[in-house]
Amino acid sequence: MVNIKPIEIFCGTGGVGKTTLATSRALDLASKGKKVLLITIDPAKRLKQILGLENTEAGKIQPISSEIFPGFEEKSFSFDALLMSPRATLRRMKWEAGTEREFDNPIIDILARPNGGMNEIMAIIEVQHHLSKREYDTIVLDTPPGKHFIDFLQASLKIKQFFDKSFIEIFKFLGKKFQRNTEKEGTGFFAMIVSSGVKKLLKYLQKVTGEEFVETFVDAVVAIYRNRDAFLEALKFQDELRQIENSNWFLVTSVEQHKIDEANTLHNKAIEFMHGDSYLTINKCLRRHLETWNPTDSDYLHVRNSMLDRENKIKEFAGRNFEKVMDFPEVLGTSPAQHVSELAAAWKES
Amino acid sequence: MDTNKIPRLIVVTGKGGVGKTSLSLAITKHLHENGVKVLYNSFDQITNEQLCERMEIPCWEMSTSQSAETYIGKKLGTDMVAGWIMKTPFFKSLFNMIPGLGMMILLGHIIEKLQNDPDLHIVMDSPSSGHALTMFESSHNFKEMFGKGMIVDDINRMHDFIYENNRLKCIVVTLPTLMAVNEGMELRESLNSLDISDVSLIVNDAIHLAKELSSKSEELPSFLSKKIEMEKEVVSEFEGQFEKILPHLSTENEIENIKSLTSHLEGLW
Repeated sequence: MVNIKPIEIFCGTGGVGKTTLATSRALDLASKGKKVLLITIDPAKRLKQILGLENTEAGKIQPISSEIFPGFEEKSFSFDALLMSPRATLRRMKWEAGTEREFDNPIIDILARPNGGMNEIMAIIEVQHHLSKREYDTIVLDTPPGKHFIDFLQASLKIKQFFDKSFIEIFKFLGKKFQRNTEKEGTGFFAMIVSSGVKKLLKYLQKVTGEEFVETFVDAVVAIYRNRDAFLEALKFQDELRQIENSNWFLVTSVEQHKIDEANTLHNKAIEFMHGDSYLTINKCLRRHLETWNPTDSDYLHVRNSMLDRENKIKEFAGRNFEKVMDFPEVLGTSPAQHVSELAAAWKES
Repeated sequence: MDTNKIPRLIVVTGKGGVGKTSLSLAITKHLHENGVKVLYNSFDQITNEQLCERMEIPCWEMSTSQSAETYIGKKLGTDMVAGWIMKTPFFKSLFNMIPGLGMMILLGHIIEKLQNDPDLHIVMDSPSSGHALTMFESSHNFKEMFGKGMIVDDINRMHDFIYENNRLKCIVVTLPTLMAVNEGMELRESLNSLDISDVSLIVNDAIHLAKELSSKSEELPSFLSKKIEMEKEVVSEFEGQFEKILPHLSTENEIENIKSLTSHLEGLW
């Protein structure tokens, strides 16, 4: 039996049905009467396929009715789902801090595009925002695949480094004048740097990028710095994740692929963030079918054995690294909603 | 094999776990065995250098930070200052916060390598779906951001190379299920919208093509016949959309798997 906690985090090597499994968990918890928010930050936005959500609704919380899931039509309940949108998160931050004008910067604008590259950082900020409101019993979090999951985990560390070290360095360059002046006027910052003379770092940058860019860049940095509280708030997320009473970890893998090494690497990197309540969930298992199949044909036997061998290798890995292992069957059906339903039923059994 | 018909840069992408790495390695091996000058590159992800060495697959790796340092050094005319800049916490964390910047510079490096050697081909084991889009979109984003100057000149040179006919090919790897194929088509559309026109879909791990299961008198268990039936439906629904459909392979390990995949790539060029 899996204990229900405020955060349930699903991570994995990608393409293993992570999003479907996370959605099935949200459905399972909601069917038990819990108030659930499902967040996906997977850049492939697979959730919209499963839930029939359109691109235009990214960044907005959508209630998902149990009616769309076969077998759950009769009971009437729902859970909330959110497709991450860096732009929407930024918009909320601007609005909350009353800094629309400062954030109106071409660099920040471009970076907040859907593939602009700030997805992980913005995701952490968004998740922490919902956690701190405490409106949900559980937030089910679907993370980006593979190596990018580590980027996600390290996002708050990156934020911390950015504000700790780099700004200390900038202050060293600029002295107290910067702090005093930027409190009043953000855009005059560039002129001030030029007037203060020896700003080697920015001069080098200017040589490569041109003057105009440096000016916009400095404005962007100032805008981010003056909104640092919103960024730093996200650091709390890391602490919450580390606490066993707050979070469950599910490392999802599947037998479809022989990526045991990759799962191993991920596990080793993620372990510093995890705790004892970590589960390895093996998806798309055919074991139950394979064990009852006794072919006489030697080619068939070879296929059967190689498939079973893959599943066993993963189990072997699982036994070495995880105390708790769960397996989920491969669902043979074409409707994504049916996949979610059948997996939700499997949560009840596990 | 007519090397003029082979794209200079072959980018293999798709969602995670569909077999991008194995297929990239197999394509490299296939081209190498046919006398094409080719290198495998993992785009600074999990390195496969040992596997490449064991399988005699030529590879070339470079990390994003190495790439950025070299680039800045070239621009400033001094490696020492470049090293110093990249070590400053500010730039270090800037590159961390904006991964697209590092990706763009690394892609620029790969293209420069191709420009310096007109016979060379590179097979890139690209980041999965959304991150592949970030990689290609970044140069457009930064061009807009920088406006003009040395970096924009370099970006233009990159674009000239990428958008010249027959230079870049993207291969989207997918699986024979409805969901996976839909996602593959979606990714192809996104790449097309970035003006990348040569994007093909390759279906991997098709059980209905597994040679061990073909034309036997013994009946298959229901889960397998159901799986096969579903695969066939997907394949006929999307007929003509796939450049290749690769069979499920009952191989013992990764090396055998890549070897076997290589033998199925005949006719790709």
